[in-house]
Amino acid sequence: MRVPYFPGCTLHSKAKGLDYSTRASLAALGVELTELSHWTCCGTVFPLAQDNYIGMVAAARILANAAKEEGGRLVTVCSFCYNVLKRVNYVIQNNSEARQKLNDYLEENYTGEIQPVHPLEICKEHVGFNVIRNKAARSLKGLKVACYYGCMLVRPAAEMNFDDPENPTIMEGLVTALGAEVVEYPNKITCCGSYQVLHDNALVMQRVEDILNSAITKGAEAIITSCPLCQFNLDWLQEKILQKNAGFRQIPVLYFTQLLGLALELPQESLGLDQHYVDPRPLLVGA
Amino acid sequence: MVDLSGKTRRELVERIKEISGQNPNLCMQCGTCSAGCTGREFMEFLPRQVMRMIQLGNAKALNCKSIWVCSTCLICTARCPRGIDIARLMEALRVINLRQGREVLIAEKIPVELLTQVPQMALTSGFRKLSA
Repeated sequence: MRVPYFPGCTLHSKAKGLDYSTRASLAALGVELTELSHWTCCGTVFPLAQDNYIGMVAAARILANAAKEEGGRLVTVCSFCYNVLKRVNYVIQNNSEARQKLNDYLEENYTGEIQPVHPLEICKEHVGFNVIRNKAARSLKGLKVACYYGCMLVRPAAEMNFDDPENPTIMEGLVTALGAEVVEYPNKITCCGSYQVLHDNALVMQRVEDILNSAITKGAEAIITSCPLCQFNLDWLQEKILQKNAGFRQIPVLYFTQLLGLALELPQESLGLDQHYVDPRPLLVGA
Repeated sequence: MVDLSGKTRRELVERIKEISGQNPNLCMQCGTCSAGCTGREFMEFLPRQVMRMIQLGNAKALNCKSIWVCSTCLICTARCPRGIDIARLMEALRVINLRQGREVLIAEKIPVELLTQVPQMALTSGFRKLSA
């Protein structure tokens, strides 16, 4: 199966490990991602002001370009990209005034026919967790994993239509299929503070400490996510937490695709495991 | 404190309603938004209080730190029992400021150490939400 793929700006730079591990893991599962020939940044955040059409233009253009490829779907893995593409697509489908304005501006005739799809959905619905269980040559048995969704994958529920917005379980399904143990903790859909890392560092520090400590207290050895900004905040700020509290026990924060890639025995050096602040390799070599 | 005339207050409420597409008068002050808010401990007015200020056309809502601490995580929107998209009301308060050039995220003030490390998406999203 070949599906058009939109990596997004961060996956071509700071989150190369997410890009590679997504492509390689899905390829190993029989899904070939073909990168769109033309793409730009999606805009990262869906504009919440009713009159902000320009904030939707980039995502609308990406969707219109995807509609020129075959398949009717567009895979994207970054939670921000997925959120923006899906919300803008929802607007184009349901708001005729916005649809007209965006199409007039772009000189396109796009009506929302593309379905943005997340690799977690590909794993569950198109490949199947049972198939993944059988293909996972290396069992991650014994590894205790906390799944972190954050905000953008699940909210707003009506538009994202992704999973239960208060208690999503799709990532846990994948973790279980890989043989690892799911750790339940109360913060899987709370926000890490997001872009406030640039503006209110103390806020993000507090949110990150709260999320990490709740996962660690419940016995997690690793946290997984699909968002490069969550990954950065949860991983990079551990250095600052350690400076403040020498007793803090660090925890690796991975992309779910890196865990999937490990289980599928993809070459470890290409999964980007060396690009994290808290090195996950000591834990995963023995897993 | 800015004390506005009744007419100015009504105009402010109308402007906020127009930009957000939301009806702030639906708010019954239950505080569910504030209980789950990501930035609650860093706000001088909790989202529930900001909602009340909007209902009354109180211009303090435009000048409070709360609107800039919001990370648009939508947990308030997701949980509001009155179905108000509270994040859109917070955004309206931000954009009224931003469209007049009042901003809080200044590129030059971001520490270089952070600037070179953060993923690109943080810069784009941060500037879109917090810079004019």
